[in-house]
Amino acid sequence: MIVSFENRLSRFLGTTAIFIAIILVLFPFLWIFLESIKPPSLGGRPDIWRFEPSWENWREIVFNSNVPLNILNSFFIALITVVISLICGAPAAYAFSRFRGFQGARYSILAAEMMPPAILILPLFLLLYKLELIDSRVGVITAHLTFVVPVVTWFLIGFFDEVPKDLEDQAMIDGYTRFQAFYKVILPAVRPGLAAAGIFGFVLSWNDLFYSLLLTGAESRTLPVAIAGFWTFRGIELGKMAVAILIAVIPVLILSYSIQKHLIRGIGGSGVKY
Amino acid sequence: MKKLKLSTAIAAIAWATISTSQVAHAGEINIIMEEVPDYDIVAKLTDQFTEQNPGITVNFDAMPFDAMRDKILTSSLAPSATYDVIIIDNPWTDEFARAGFLEPLDSLISSQDGYAYDDFVPALADISKVDGSIYGVPYYNYALGLIVRQDIFDSKGLAIPKTIEDYMSVVKSLTTNGMYGAAMQPQKGYKIMEEWKNWLYANGGELFDDAGNVIINNQAAIDALNQYIETHSQAAPPNSANWGFDEALRSVSSGKAATMLSYNWMLPALNAKGGMSGDLAGNFTLHEVPGGKSVLGLWSWGITANSDNKDDAWTFISWISSPEVAKQRAIMGGAPVRNSVMNSPEVWEKGYGKAYYTALADILDGSAPLSSGNNAEELIEIVGTELSAAVTGQKSVKEALDAAANGVERAIK
Amino acid sequence: MHIKYKLILPLVFLLSGIMLYPFIFSLWLSLQDYRLTRINDVQFVGFENFGFIATDQSFLNAMGNTISFVASAVIIELILGLSLALLIQKLLIFRGFVRSILLAPMFITPIAVGLMFRFLLNSEIGIIPFYLLRIGVSLDWFGPELALFSIVLIDVWQWTPFMLLMFLAGLEALPKTPFEAARVDGAGRWLTFSSITLPMLRPVIVVALIIRALDAFKVFEYVFAITRGGPGNSTETIMYYIYQTGFRFFRMGEAAAASILLIIFILVFVILIVNLSRPKVIK
Repeated sequence: MIVSFENRLSRFLGTTAIFIAIILVLFPFLWIFLESIKPPSLGGRPDIWRFEPSWENWREIVFNSNVPLNILNSFFIALITVVISLICGAPAAYAFSRFRGFQGARYSILAAEMMPPAILILPLFLLLYKLELIDSRVGVITAHLTFVVPVVTWFLIGFFDEVPKDLEDQAMIDGYTRFQAFYKVILPAVRPGLAAAGIFGFVLSWNDLFYSLLLTGAESRTLPVAIAGFWTFRGIELGKMAVAILIAVIPVLILSYSIQKHLIRGIGGSGVKY
Repeated sequence: MKKLKLSTAIAAIAWATISTSQVAHAGEINIIMEEVPDYDIVAKLTDQFTEQNPGITVNFDAMPFDAMRDKILTSSLAPSATYDVIIIDNPWTDEFARAGFLEPLDSLISSQDGYAYDDFVPALADISKVDGSIYGVPYYNYALGLIVRQDIFDSKGLAIPKTIEDYMSVVKSLTTNGMYGAAMQPQKGYKIMEEWKNWLYANGGELFDDAGNVIINNQAAIDALNQYIETHSQAAPPNSANWGFDEALRSVSSGKAATMLSYNWMLPALNAKGGMSGDLAGNFTLHEVPGGKSVLGLWSWGITANSDNKDDAWTFISWISSPEVAKQRAIMGGAPVRNSVMNSPEVWEKGYGKAYYTALADILDGSAPLSSGNNAEELIEIVGTELSAAVTGQKSVKEALDAAANGVERAIK
Repeated sequence: MHIKYKLILPLVFLLSGIMLYPFIFSLWLSLQDYRLTRINDVQFVGFENFGFIATDQSFLNAMGNTISFVASAVIIELILGLSLALLIQKLLIFRGFVRSILLAPMFITPIAVGLMFRFLLNSEIGIIPFYLLRIGVSLDWFGPELALFSIVLIDVWQWTPFMLLMFLAGLEALPKTPFEAARVDGAGRWLTFSSITLPMLRPVIVVALIIRALDAFKVFEYVFAITRGGPGNSTETIMYYIYQTGFRFFRMGEAAAASILLIIFILVFVILIVNLSRPKVIK
């Protein structure tokens, strides 16, 4: 009796469907994990399930490679991107939520989403090159802002919508200016929303390949670019790539688990009112 | 407490955003490298270089092939080079030299004692000569050869095919009982072009004729492509229309396919005991490709024109490509580019055996580069895409080659 | 209200700098013959780039591939996502757990997903073809017939969770009373779904559709990781085409022109969808 359906057939089908979905999702992860602990010579042999687990791939990656640097780069780039996004996006989202005349804003956020990276990469690349900022984290952060800021702002509008107007009205009656009310009263009230939107933006930046591929160099290389880099001339180094993938994926999964409830509430707010 | 948090935050942000200086200081050189076994060898040998030249620090930046071109480009367009030494893939040579990215090396070479420039295989050294100047010295070759399972050939009493027709009949005859005659690499773009051009050569074809006209759609090419497609459908493993290097190699090393056209230095890797071929190690031999003219690939060392450390750069390059160090490199498993190295008994003994080096010398003798001239990279991609369309049946042979010719003509403008 | 403009100032300022300015630069770029290898020799060519691109077989092919890809992927994801959301709503136990597992794929970096599936489906070293062969099924997942479809499947694997997320949010936000009323009136499952749930979800469906479609237009990582546009041109998507033209062939002017044509197309598409989905107002 896992699923509440009227008759047993529907119940059975429903449960089975969910099981199948879960298996389909988990299978690639399981496989990648197995590949990461296979001894290097057995990598990529589909017929081999029994083997002595070897942590050599993990050791290689963690101690002997640039992956830790890549992780640091990805982390800082994402962090700074999110911080800037929140700083610029929160007040704007508040304004969009509270004031008349900003109906168009919700659309224009979507317009920003419309910009394919393809159109921005060329000018960004050339501009950064002229400013001698290729292979710098600043360049990548700039590029990431272009898609993180709109999304974060859009989410935040929904969260602000949920906060009752009385809260700041009360504060202003008590003598706060509008901005003080925003900063001292409303903002703390949407803290979970800020966290959720921030984490979502963090994940978007962490996962980006397209901009990072073309704008980073040895110093600033991010994790996704490093993962792509395991496709080398000696063939794909499956085991090491598997490790890199897991390292990229596990923190994100943990983060995303913590924000799921908030995301659902936030989207429910801004998504339905379009 | 708050102050500490704030200052650490600011410090972290500062670190993260301010780019570290990318340009090498005096006494330091940055070298871009491709992530391949030969790089490992160079890296190891460089310890010796640093001992002998304590005033020079060598920094390597190794990356996969795909990432290299853009990086070299941005380094060359910057006022000061990120990379002082670069390795140049042969299709890039003309383009980079004419764009002014490379430093001419003629005077440096002639004034280098004991360098023995003529010792380089002429076909290889010529690749880096553009408009009368030398812009690179050979690093490692990746000429293609025919790799076969000698034990299978012996057991069936087959001779190594010398012509393309022989090759076709041999591999067809070998395709029985779960074994396939040829593991092919029809992957769109670079791979298929690299493999198919051997077939083109075997039919006497080329991309351009001596006058510079595009002849990629002439009869020789049509024949070559038809032969290639026929062989693929009759002698290659099923579902291999997308195969690149990894798949074909795996097919051969696991015993499913009897032959493949591949880089000559794959032979030692295939024959290594306890390596990828498991029990089949030792059964592979290397020969010239059918038709006798193989596609040549070459990486050369070059100095960037906008480098601030050209002297140190040349010190390194002349050292790593000198006859003595080249011999060491070959013994450690590197792909040779000097005649003296390929003819040295010491290398035969400590390296991969005389058979390999003599086969290699033959291959290099009759080889021609994959592509040259401006926009070679683009050409390869265009032709490679059309070839793939023909192999997978999306276009007819004539359509594909005509489209390729049009694309090439446009690209070289 | 002065404050409201002050509040949006940082955002406007930021976006103008990082988006508006590059966009205008892009417009300029599209009118030049700009080669990265001849950066000092930039020539004005007017609309020549546009003329070439708009009639270029490769560009049209890439647009066609992308449109088929987007249509197939989004529709499948919509149906699967909605179905899963409805099922999850009905779960009595483990709801949070199931939800977190099923939402996981959308958070993985797409290049990793692409490479994972490249191996899983590779005809020589892949585990899925290996076992399929054991039961007699021989499929070339990245061969000419299936390649684009395989990419669609990968997209479905990764992004159905996004649709799931949107619909979970939408369903959660629905008021309970109409459903109570329907139950009291004895309405069956299907009737409830088609006359109450679906219409009330309409705004969510439209938003989810638009966001997912816009995102799907940008598909790049899967193509980059697996097929590089092949075999032939069958999986060359528009983003890959632009990347290749600009960063492999170094023809920046043409790449810029192509991306502007793309934007125009997307604009038209979005306007169409938004207009088509305007709910008819019943007074």
